[in-house]
Amino acid sequence: MEDQKEMELPEIRKKLKELLVENLSLEGIKPEEIKDDEILFGEGLGLDSLDAVEIVVLLQRNFGIEVKDMKEGQKIFYSIDTLANYVYENM
Amino acid sequence: MNIAGIGIISTRGRGIDSLDIALRQGWIAPSQTKSHSNDQNVFYPAYRVKKETINDITILKKIRRADKFSKMAVMAARDAVIDSGIQINHKESEVGIILATAFGPHVTTFRFLDDIIDYGDGSVSPTTFSHSVHNAAASYISSLLNIRGPTVTITQFASPIHQSLILAKAWLTEKRCKYVLIGCVDVCGNVMEYICNQKLRIANDGKIRPFNFSASPSSVPGEGSVFFMTTLENCQNKYCEIIPAYITNCDTIEKSDINIIEADGMAGDETSYQNTAPVDVFAGGYSPIFGSMKIISAFHCTVSALMLKKQIRYACPVQDNPYDLNLITKTESAEIKQICCIRKNCANKTDIIKLIR
Amino acid sequence: MKIFITGIGGISAAGRNITEHLESFQLMRRNAGTVSLFDTFLPYPVFEVKSPLINKQKNEMRTLSLAMSALKEALHDAGLQKDFSGIKTGVCLGTSVASQLNDIDFYRTYRNTGAADMAAVDRFLKGNLAEAVARSIKASGPSITVVNACSSGADAIGVALSWLRNGVCDIAIAGGADELNRVPLCGFGALGILSKFLCSPFDRDRSGLNLGEGAGILILETEEFSRLRGKKSVLRLAGYGAAADAYHLTAPRPDGSGLESALRKSLADANITPQDVCFVNAHGTATHDNDKVEGIMLEKIFGQQIKFLSTKGYTGHTLGAAGGLEAAFTATALREGWIPASAGFVQQDENIPVRPITEQTQINGSFAVSTSLAFGGNNASIVISKDQGNQPEP
Repeated sequence: MEDQKEMELPEIRKKLKELLVENLSLEGIKPEEIKDDEILFGEGLGLDSLDAVEIVVLLQRNFGIEVKDMKEGQKIFYSIDTLANYVYENM
Repeated sequence: MNIAGIGIISTRGRGIDSLDIALRQGWIAPSQTKSHSNDQNVFYPAYRVKKETINDITILKKIRRADKFSKMAVMAARDAVIDSGIQINHKESEVGIILATAFGPHVTTFRFLDDIIDYGDGSVSPTTFSHSVHNAAASYISSLLNIRGPTVTITQFASPIHQSLILAKAWLTEKRCKYVLIGCVDVCGNVMEYICNQKLRIANDGKIRPFNFSASPSSVPGEGSVFFMTTLENCQNKYCEIIPAYITNCDTIEKSDINIIEADGMAGDETSYQNTAPVDVFAGGYSPIFGSMKIISAFHCTVSALMLKKQIRYACPVQDNPYDLNLITKTESAEIKQICCIRKNCANKTDIIKLIR
Repeated sequence: MKIFITGIGGISAAGRNITEHLESFQLMRRNAGTVSLFDTFLPYPVFEVKSPLINKQKNEMRTLSLAMSALKEALHDAGLQKDFSGIKTGVCLGTSVASQLNDIDFYRTYRNTGAADMAAVDRFLKGNLAEAVARSIKASGPSITVVNACSSGADAIGVALSWLRNGVCDIAIAGGADELNRVPLCGFGALGILSKFLCSPFDRDRSGLNLGEGAGILILETEEFSRLRGKKSVLRLAGYGAAADAYHLTAPRPDGSGLESALRKSLADANITPQDVCFVNAHGTATHDNDKVEGIMLEKIFGQQIKFLSTKGYTGHTLGAAGGLEAAFTATALREGWIPASAGFVQQDENIPVRPITEQTQINGSFAVSTSLAFGGNNASIVISKDQGNQPEP
């Protein structure tokens, strides 16, 4: 089980980075430049509240995952790592 | 009310200097885009703003999500402030914004409808939605330029610039603000071009003929953005004074050095323009440069302001002249004190905007 | 120069006219339900206008139909006919939905086939709200459709005030109208700010707004014009202030400085102090951010004892109509001498230092304020006053 997680997480992270760059119009940033543990909001990558709700839709469209409570979103959307873990757990 | 600075984005480029070059170059054929119809050979002409015109990386970084409508608005607004040389005091709300549009960011609205159709009601993009509303552009302008005065976005089919000027004058007189950034924006798009094709007669050769005074005139859709930094105060880079007025009878138009005939095929029957060009007044008309737009008056006011500032008469880009008007046929220096922009709007009123040196 | 409010009209889920609204307010009636105007599986309750007289998009836009209904009432209230030929009349109305060509059936057909019937386009082209209303009453003065999202109605009233004070017109029709429409329902849903329950403005457990629809219209006149036609009124539009947040496309500036600026400007415009204000009809959408920023600012400016309410618990958020409807409610409340309970409020939020009124309350002051905050960072505040009124010539 753990092995499978280790195999799938890098793929999910890669996909998430591509989705963010493409759908959040992150001008001048390449997907591979986003670090796995980089803080996504505020000081980090600079995402904001509108990006947060856009990510909710991205998760829904691409992974079929519903984020029902935005309060819980703060933890999930902390970094690519946390986001990928959430996707893996809920797929 | 004085025009203290101008920003313009048109099919011919960005900035007031690009306009001077365009007016000297004269008419250029519009681009042709393949229509979204089953007939693959149908092309629509349109005067579109080129991608490179609004590819200003410094600004785009700060408005990464903005659509073309907002980009054109932000860049023209910023250019108008810079052109005026006025240093804005950000702590006080001394600058107001009035942004006028006929159709708003419809390309983004249709993209949002794509979302609803493709993904369903519960899985649409909030970013696309928030850019599909008319006031997104003004929001970007106020954020980027840190303008904290009153901000109004208005939508009009008849007289958008005219109405904006009247309101701006009132705001300045009441001292609601010291400066008002008045702007007009409209954008082209696949669907709107199709609608224009259904509703209007499109010029197959791409030429708008402002002086034909036709009952069913030809048009070519255009897009772009113009902003004026206006104030009641005197200012270093003043172009001219600008005064909006309505008239019911064209015989009462006060005599100017130049009458600009704003016919562009967008507002239907143009026969009544015939009595707006007396022989002893030069007649100009520049819609063939920009394309047909409900906001064309903003572009004509810009041409007028430039003529007054530079004391140059610009040759009309398309000079078909069946009524033997006193057309401006060549670009040359001239003494110009007053220009009158005349537009028969779609509500059968005549809008007059006077620009005085 | 004094500007009088001589006519008031309003329509929403809470009533087809002002009298019905007052009944709903007294009985705390909240006419929300599931969407019936179009097909959607979204689970959010909405406040729809139930009236056979309101169009369902056949020949004209529903928004226009709502506006004409409120206009009819306002004109009757003002004792005016529906023909303004020869009078310098301005029309300034706010909207959001009616400004967009967002007919999904039209677009889907176009997308699929490259061609579509022009009926929806014609409806749109005839439906520019201010232009259509101006045409229908033969108004010859200025006309502006304000599209400032949720503050459109309030800003439209502010524009009319500027026109009247500057002699651009003698009489103005001002307010806002908006229909419930699938596009904003989906959009607000995606933004995560629609509640699955009845909205509860300023409440600790508020979970978002409910969309509504309606129209609110004021007839505004210069003192001279109303005196000449012998119309008495005790209500005045005393001031307006607006300010941009210059912050974000969808989030309000957290320090509320844009709202503060708008409020202070409106008070200065009316030449009054915060102590003169007897109540505030707050924007109070029941979203987390709006109510927090607004509540903090109400306390900062007016103090903890300020009486305030949100009427969105009765009408839903009517977007471009909200500022018009709430100005109509504010004026009516001053005239009637009472304000209704802020529907939906139960528990105070520890992050909001003030609480709205929870029961019908008598008021006996001369000035009231209505606030509007919008996406895009527009803030608007209107001051309405009740005074001795203009005395018509004998």
